Amino acid sequence: MIDQSTEHHNEHVYLDYNATTPVSEIVRKHVMESLENWGNPSSIHWYGRGPKNLLRDSRARVGHMIGAESPLEVVFTSGGSESNSLAVVGTFEAMTRNQNPRNIYIRSAVEHPSVIKAFNSIEEKGAVVKVIPVSRTGEIDLVRYRELLTPEVALVSVMFANNETGAIFPIKKMSKLAHDEGALFHTDSVQGLGKVPLKVEHLGVDLASFSAHKFYALKGCGVLYVKRGTILEPQIYGGGQERGRRGGTENLMGIVSLAITDGLLKHSDEYCGKVLSLRIYLEEKVLKDIPNVEVIAKDAKRLPNTSCFILDRVSGETLLMNLDLKGFSVSTGSACSSGNPEPSAALLAMGIKHSEAQSTLRVSLGWLTSKSEIDRFVKTLAQVVTRLRQIDDEAMAEYGI
Amino acid sequence: MEYKGRVLVAMSGGVDSSVAALLLKEQGYDVVGVTMQVWDYSECDIEEGAGTCCSSIDVDDARAVADKLKFPFYVLNCEDKFHAKVITPFLNDYIHGRTPSPCVNCNTYLKFDHLIRKMRELECDYLATGHYAQILKNEAGRNVIVASFDDWKDQTYFLFTIERNIIDRILFPIGHMKKEVVRALAIEHGLINARKKDSTGICFVGNGDYANFVKANVDADLLKPGLIRKYPDGEALGPHSGIHGFTYGQRKGLGLNHHEPLFVLKIDPVTHTVWVGEEKHLYTSEFETAECNLLDQIVPGENIKVRIRHHHPGAGAKLFPTEKGFRVRFDEPQRAITPGQAAVFYRENQLLGGGWIV
Repeated sequence: MIDQSTEHHNEHVYLDYNATTPVSEIVRKHVMESLENWGNPSSIHWYGRGPKNLLRDSRARVGHMIGAESPLEVVFTSGGSESNSLAVVGTFEAMTRNQNPRNIYIRSAVEHPSVIKAFNSIEEKGAVVKVIPVSRTGEIDLVRYRELLTPEVALVSVMFANNETGAIFPIKKMSKLAHDEGALFHTDSVQGLGKVPLKVEHLGVDLASFSAHKFYALKGCGVLYVKRGTILEPQIYGGGQERGRRGGTENLMGIVSLAITDGLLKHSDEYCGKVLSLRIYLEEKVLKDIPNVEVIAKDAKRLPNTSCFILDRVSGETLLMNLDLKGFSVSTGSACSSGNPEPSAALLAMGIKHSEAQSTLRVSLGWLTSKSEIDRFVKTLAQVVTRLRQIDDEAMAEYGI
Repeated sequence: MEYKGRVLVAMSGGVDSSVAALLLKEQGYDVVGVTMQVWDYSECDIEEGAGTCCSSIDVDDARAVADKLKFPFYVLNCEDKFHAKVITPFLNDYIHGRTPSPCVNCNTYLKFDHLIRKMRELECDYLATGHYAQILKNEAGRNVIVASFDDWKDQTYFLFTIERNIIDRILFPIGHMKKEVVRALAIEHGLINARKKDSTGICFVGNGDYANFVKANVDADLLKPGLIRKYPDGEALGPHSGIHGFTYGQRKGLGLNHHEPLFVLKIDPVTHTVWVGEEKHLYTSEFETAECNLLDQIVPGENIKVRIRHHHPGAGAKLFPTEKGFRVRFDEPQRAITPGQAAVFYRENQLLGGGWIV
């Protein structure tokens, strides 16, 4: 179970669960135990057998968690970014090697940088890249998507849910449309795991990316689900691990940490219901207590834990620092670009203005979030926003604006 | 310990601002550290970033110091503002035959404007920097800026644009100390950058090669070749590839083979002519300033001290108001009074203000 006690150890309120999550108590315990199995799973001798079995068991549990038909469809990687790179570049290279005439690659406009940069990379190597627009309301343009789907399309990659706005995309439907044209379908489902019911078989995708640390397990472990029969060129060569699809001695500790979360996943409905009611409470309170605030993609189908606010005339960067000084951890733009306040490319791609994107605040709740934390957070947020707007008013007056 | 209020400390990652933060922390201030990221270092390799002010390694050093001293630390992205207010005028000065002093603009628009705003936004009572300068009370009980105790390190030359009304909010915690003492404190407290080399020159021009920096960052057609002529007869001594490669008083690197030593006397941005001649012609007594800022009253004709570049010891002078600023008249002629540099005014050690040499 999630360790509820951490909340009391720490005065800081953590509201940035889309960036990462605390390691759950049960994961901690099992990971420590797994360190006894320090042998190399590939070794033939006695030391290899324990780890090998642990790896096999973990693969089965993870396969079951994500709804794979077979554990062999689970490829362990170092995380979501590697999984995304392997899916996109690995597919392109396999297609090229097999002289497959399909050469169009489609992604959405709001993908994670690891997907966008993988697409840029294959584009430089000759792939034709097409982008599906996403509206300000968080809707993906299915009309345009249908137009883009032709018999030349090799792969479509659309995220399950957006990390910044929480908007969920109709993957099952989009995957079906891709398959009707004979294209492969990949979904970056890093933000989906544990937040909404998510089974790859149900979605009908060929490839799906996951990350352990977004769901109360360790950093440094991810999964690429590779549906049986899908061919990928490995991006890391090695000693034949992961059936030749990803070389390198396995990160058994990380893999075990992810497998252990299958126990948490059983409580997902209950916790996510709680998280959703807190999120509804948060948004109602923010919109009531603070003037000139917008919730991005408010009416879209969204993850139950994510709110992305635009707070007019407030710099997200300054707001984040103020909140941090008062003990609240939130994010602006994307956590991957922390320290770099360039506005998020995904938000800009949704037609959100540069100035608006710089005024965004992402709040992402988790299983440990409590109502009293939300109350304290909104109270502080309202005070800080009022003060920053006052300073802005004064500065404007000084410049005679 | 008495609570002194919250202070925003501008940290470059160097030893001076780190010790400034250390001292404030010890004095009982609630310290918040910030580093302004002013230049995109992602394109630089490690060697290039090392040792210059505010490179990414310096940001990491500042963060490490904050972590060690246990206060919050943030990186502020100021690239756009830095480009507009520091780099662009810097390039523009070179194109127009002036020798810029970009540290002044960085202080004017970044440290003592942008950070003053951040100070207010982050509910800080003060803004502190690691400048070698002091704030002391004058006889009337008013805070004034005074040259640092370590006169070799004194940086008040770069601070003349500070607005009078913010002096009460500024702290210079190391201004009363010698550099060696600052460094010894850093070593004593085990700060990661205690033995780091002093940054010299201009932070965004890595190896001090200004001409190449200008060449790399402006349109080629703005850098026109021209002639080097000898003053006063006008004899053409040879071509040059652009006036941005020259500065007043320069002797080396003129590419001339002449029987007597020649110095750059004047740069004419209209005809792209670089005038050279004997050193004696470099000495002048009077010049004009513009865009002046005054931190205290100066009576016209009062005997004050004026410095015309960093490390210029200062010389006796009188000021006379003009439409654009002041005419400065030195008691003795001074060498290479250079357009683009600042003329900074002092009474004894007190900073009175200054203006730009035109």
